[in-house]
Amino acid sequence: MSRRRETDAQLLARIGLDAVARRERARQNHNRLVALAFMAPALVLVIGVLLVPVGYNLYLSVMNWRKFKGFDQFAGAGNYFDMGSSPYFFDALANTAIWVAASLAFPIAIGLALALLFRGARFEDAFKNIVFLPRILAPTAVAVLWIYVYAPHGVVNRILQMVLGHDVDIGWLYQQSTITASIIVTFVWQTVGLVMVLLLLGLNALPKDPIEAARIDGASPFQSFRHIVLPLLAPTLLMVSILCVLAGFTVFDLLWVMGAGYPGLRTLSLAIFMYFEAFQKGGWSFGSAVAVVIGLIVLSVTWLQAWLQHRIDQNLK
Amino acid sequence: MKLIAKALMATVTAAWLVGAATAKAEEVKLYNDKGFWAAQMQAVGDASEKKTGVKITPSPYSSPEQYKAFIQSSLTSGAAPDMFSWWTGQTFNDLVGSGQIAPLDDVWSKLVSSGQYDPSSADLFKVDGHIYAVPMLLARWVVLYDKDMFKEAGIAEPKTWDDLMQDAAKLKAAGHTPFEATVQEGWRGFIWFQEMMLRSNPKAFKGLFDGSVAYDSDAVKNAFKIWGDLYAKGYMSDPRSNEEAKDFASGKAAMYLIGEWAQGIVEKAGMPADKIGAFIMPNIDAAAPSAVIVEGAPIVVSNDGKKKPAVMTALNFWASVDGANAWAAASGNYMGNLKANAPNANVSYITAAMTANKTQSYLRWWEAVPADLQGEMVALLNGFELDPSDKNAADIMGKMQALNAKYWATHK
Repeated sequence: MSRRRETDAQLLARIGLDAVARRERARQNHNRLVALAFMAPALVLVIGVLLVPVGYNLYLSVMNWRKFKGFDQFAGAGNYFDMGSSPYFFDALANTAIWVAASLAFPIAIGLALALLFRGARFEDAFKNIVFLPRILAPTAVAVLWIYVYAPHGVVNRILQMVLGHDVDIGWLYQQSTITASIIVTFVWQTVGLVMVLLLLGLNALPKDPIEAARIDGASPFQSFRHIVLPLLAPTLLMVSILCVLAGFTVFDLLWVMGAGYPGLRTLSLAIFMYFEAFQKGGWSFGSAVAVVIGLIVLSVTWLQAWLQHRIDQNLK
Repeated sequence: MKLIAKALMATVTAAWLVGAATAKAEEVKLYNDKGFWAAQMQAVGDASEKKTGVKITPSPYSSPEQYKAFIQSSLTSGAAPDMFSWWTGQTFNDLVGSGQIAPLDDVWSKLVSSGQYDPSSADLFKVDGHIYAVPMLLARWVVLYDKDMFKEAGIAEPKTWDDLMQDAAKLKAAGHTPFEATVQEGWRGFIWFQEMMLRSNPKAFKGLFDGSVAYDSDAVKNAFKIWGDLYAKGYMSDPRSNEEAKDFASGKAAMYLIGEWAQGIVEKAGMPADKIGAFIMPNIDAAAPSAVIVEGAPIVVSNDGKKKPAVMTALNFWASVDGANAWAAASGNYMGNLKANAPNANVSYITAAMTANKTQSYLRWWEAVPADLQGEMVALLNGFELDPSDKNAADIMGKMQALNAKYWATHK
């Protein structure tokens, strides 16, 4: 064979370098197998506890659950069409949107304000501990406590009575106009401590030089905060916002306990709606379909946040 | 020596294995969703062990939804528990329809022939002519009343609806709230609705459960009007309370429309038994026959469970005089066993009154209504308790009928 027509492989075979290449490939395969072996427990966990249930849930959502008989009928998109025609689904969706917006805005705004207030203040640790205290209480216990706070003869009405000078008899947890806002106040009360602590950590980790330089250049405290502190705090704020949004989507205990006497309980959030449909009415397939919708909404929001995180990281570089 | 030691060890091991196997075979689990009665059921279980050698061990779930999910998934996989509680009504028919629950006609034949139960007690547990359960409890829905408040207001137990309204007016004049009613836990909305329907039009009441009577029919409108009038007159307590039994025990209302099983809870809340009276609410339509709403919680056994002697021993003990006495003493619940001790004086009184008046039993709305409609409808009824206006009543009836019509369009 002429040397010009030889392929690389033939050349390597002639001079013996293919053996080296083979050894290199074998080494790489071995490394991959070792890596897989170390990853295996985590993979089994993720697949078994996360992916398999999600996949099974998707399967259930397109089947028809017949009580005591199982899922042997294919329903296609029937459960999703039923969701669209349910009078409660869109109310639950709207309330969930309110919850997500409120769980993003209020804990972060109040948490940041408290973090800036307490930072470097006298008795900083004591104030931090007091604000953080509700966070360590179980949500159900918090809910039961606040039922009495919002009771017709409870603390809130009595304070309003003292301030306004006349009888106040508002059923905070029993009417549509006040129930969501009331439970959001409880949620913020319980969550703001954690947000404050995380933002304090972020503030304490900020480099001092840019802030000092801005002060020397004559920037006001607000200007420093707006143009220096906030941009530098952006990664922490984004991380905290992800936590808050997820908490807003998944809130259940507070709604379930505090909304027990409210006639429209099933519309207070998508999670509650799903629970009613799946477990109270026994419609497991329909409940699975609602869970798929919740999952898609949460995924969309977290993808958006991940994209924002990526943009912020690039800007900081 | 070695041989003797080995033989000894083998004997001890065998004895231990037999002992363990024997101990396990003599314990029967009773699955249920009534964790608040776990200790009381255990008392019955211990009594069973003493009498029969078979111990009944309650296995409670903390919520009805969790429990339903457990039972549904067990039956779907063909592994129904040996013995468990359920609910009567449409959902009981669905359970029997799974084909995994054993008929108990033979058990009932002995219970009735021995004079322990009236044949009508089995009606709640009958599907297609066969009986599929024994009662965990049989509760009549009555009006518990505060004897001291009645004495103070100078009134007696009402015999007619007009008597009841006059009593309510006198209680109000004496500064007491006549009737207790709340939206506590979100399910109580149907209590006054079912009573108003039954007392004003028992035929229409029954027609609600097979779709033949609409929820916005004249009969239902009349029931809502009467119910709303009670609120308008100021006869009802503030529904925004989470402590209904405690409220009644502490004197916040004079009368409490509830199942007989609540007397034990009211006593625990601090009201002595001798201060509690009971009567069956009089009919609004005086021409209607004497009636009472009944709630019966069934205990069923699976087909496999019926083949196990220990399970049948446990079931028969539960329904027996000894079982009924143990349950009554522990929980204050009545089971319908005619030869057992009544858990309290009011249960005997109601039984005697029902016998004297030939009172007919009607299944509770909660069980009689299709399970798919239960939650949404009771939420609407709770809404009426919170806003008992005519406008809201019309809105609620419209919504209830929309749900009702949609259901029966695909289930008739």
